[in-house]
Amino acid sequence: MGDTKQARTFDAIVIGSGMSGGWAAKEFCEKGLETLVLERGRDVKHIKDYPTTNMMPWEFKHRGEIPYDIREANPVISRCYAFREDAMHFFVKDTEHPYIQDKPFDWIRGYQVGGKSIMWARQTQRWSDFDFEGPARDGFAVDWPIRYKDIAPWYSYVEKFAGISGNKDGLPNLPDGEFLPPLELTCVENYFKEIVAKNFKGRDVIYGRCAHLTEPKQIHIDQGRGQCQNRDLCQRGCPFGGYFNANATTIPWALKTGNMTLRPFSVVHSIIYDDAKGKAVGVQVIDANTKESIEYYAPVIFVNAGAYNTNLILLNSKSKRFPNGLGNDNGILGKYAAFHNYRAEISAKYDGFPDTTSKGGRRPTSAYMPRFRNLYKQETDFLRGYALTFSARRWPNNDTNGFGQNLKENLLAEPTLGPWYVGSQMMGETIPKETNFLSLDADKKDDWGVPLLKINIDYDDNDEKMIKDFFEQMTEMYTKAGFTDIKTSDSKQAPGLDIHHMGGVRMGKDPKTSMLNKWHQFHNCSNVFVTDGACMTSTSTQNPSLTFMAMTARAANYAVEQLKKGEI
Amino acid sequence: MNRRSTLKTLLIISTGAALLPSCLPDEKKSSISLKNIKINGKDEELLSDLSETIIPKTNTPGAKDVSAHLFTLMMIDYCYAPADQDKFVKGLKEFEDFSKKKFDKSFLRCFASERAEILKSIESKKDIPENVAFFYNTTKRLVLQAFTKSKYYLTKVQVYELVPGKFYGCVPVKKAS
Repeated sequence: MGDTKQARTFDAIVIGSGMSGGWAAKEFCEKGLETLVLERGRDVKHIKDYPTTNMMPWEFKHRGEIPYDIREANPVISRCYAFREDAMHFFVKDTEHPYIQDKPFDWIRGYQVGGKSIMWARQTQRWSDFDFEGPARDGFAVDWPIRYKDIAPWYSYVEKFAGISGNKDGLPNLPDGEFLPPLELTCVENYFKEIVAKNFKGRDVIYGRCAHLTEPKQIHIDQGRGQCQNRDLCQRGCPFGGYFNANATTIPWALKTGNMTLRPFSVVHSIIYDDAKGKAVGVQVIDANTKESIEYYAPVIFVNAGAYNTNLILLNSKSKRFPNGLGNDNGILGKYAAFHNYRAEISAKYDGFPDTTSKGGRRPTSAYMPRFRNLYKQETDFLRGYALTFSARRWPNNDTNGFGQNLKENLLAEPTLGPWYVGSQMMGETIPKETNFLSLDADKKDDWGVPLLKINIDYDDNDEKMIKDFFEQMTEMYTKAGFTDIKTSDSKQAPGLDIHHMGGVRMGKDPKTSMLNKWHQFHNCSNVFVTDGACMTSTSTQNPSLTFMAMTARAANYAVEQLKKGEI
Repeated sequence: MNRRSTLKTLLIISTGAALLPSCLPDEKKSSISLKNIKINGKDEELLSDLSETIIPKTNTPGAKDVSAHLFTLMMIDYCYAPADQDKFVKGLKEFEDFSKKKFDKSFLRCFASERAEILKSIESKKDIPENVAFFYNTTKRLVLQAFTKSKYYLTKVQVYELVPGKFYGCVPVKKAS
């Protein structure tokens, strides 16, 4: 087939091959749709393209550190905890893809097949109606057009395929899922769980829920994946497929159907809207290498470029009908962006349990406390609340004082175990606001002729109050548990470093105040769907990827039905 | 190559060889290529002997065996800020001055007991020039890192498991090792 329009026409186009795009690809291909998956970066094949995955610590030239000149030239990405020598090749460097920070915002990105699903932190919790009903109850953003019952079966659907480990805790605010066995808690984590349960009504410490195959099922074996070995080197890509990333799961699954055309190095410039037909007809792509402009066509388009790149593409999709960006009649495209507040941490020491410790693998999760603040009713001077991690462990120590024979003997000796150290990180809900927004620069363009994204996102008073409350509540709980040397720290990090970028193309019931309907379709352009972080009306506190996956699977299956019925 | 030029080359080499002993310390280059810091062969030797004083070879490998001094240089050169690189190089020279002041000779020519005394006085933190302290502390930290993250250490002393398998959350300490 030559380069005819027909050869560039598919049943569906998916923009992005990461966490959510992979799911759209899988669902479409399984349902028999010829699907084009556009990825702006290079291809990353499972195992084959994980160059550092089996490297030993001494094989890294700088023992994991990033050279100074790279850090200096790339201050944003250098702030990311996972941007280390072993995984730096999966992150976008500031110098390669500039953007404009009207306010400081650390835009952490991964441009390759699999996107950030290669390096994500793999924590997966369901939303409940305490989350979906938040905006309506507390009077911010707009009401979500969906509730837990709409998404619950799709959570189950993606959990079974992805493989989620966890414990059935029976909590109303954090619904149970389709769990593989949980990863054990340490002695002091169990102890804290008991202290909290006994002394703080309505608060729970639970096993971390994460996308790790603690006990693979047939469906995971069919994907060619094996049991998680607790290497905790996930950011390099896992040779066992022990955690969920698109490269080991959704993308090869889609490929296997024979229905997927994966096109790496495809920078999406915009979505093509046909004024005569009154709908989107395709996508304009710039080849990343040749800079050639190519058009691809399909009756349905899923935008899964990663929340803020999704905003960028839509803002840049200008037509006679939509001069301000696709679907943007109400002027709110790019607005009400939000994130998670990850600034606050607390740590302490515990002298109890001197005779016990943990051993074996490096556990890739921690304990977790779901949101307890303002859950049933408003009870503080700030809206919403925070979830948090809790981890407790002991570190082996060798005395490194002095020099010479003494020092050497100490280094070669059996290490002694230090006391238990405990720590928690706050994961706070932020309130989407019109003043937190994304826009395009009027003049500056990148190397592919796409306008640069301007990011205008900041914390507010609600966030500051929440941090204060987190410190107070945690100090109280830690003190009750007998932890000592309690230290709080506010990193003051800019928004974005949480890597939970959300909003800008929010869902809602009313076309006047939202962009997408309950099926993730544009209210006014029904064959374009947004199912990545951009669609989020509010953020709640959960790590969002699982929700993006479930939303994508749900919307893709709806789109297939609608296509079959000729509705789109 | 014709005979005449061969002879000429030989002449130059022998002349050079004759001059060599007097300028050897400055002429000898560092054995690894460094892009930012200026370190000569003698500096490298000093760093090597210092690292070996910190972690000596006994019946098991020491700092030199795991190339801790070269790792130190490479890390300073690649991963440190220019201001710290500067401090390190200055500190290295001042460390020599410190040795000369104390024992009237280079650290390289000091006996083991003298070397130990130099390190002891630096570790005492009493009246130590800032650059010397920075040089010593940085070197010690990097030598420790080189040693405890070396193949030797992670395969023979505290074995690093690339594939550790099951995680046990709560076990008695005596069963943990």
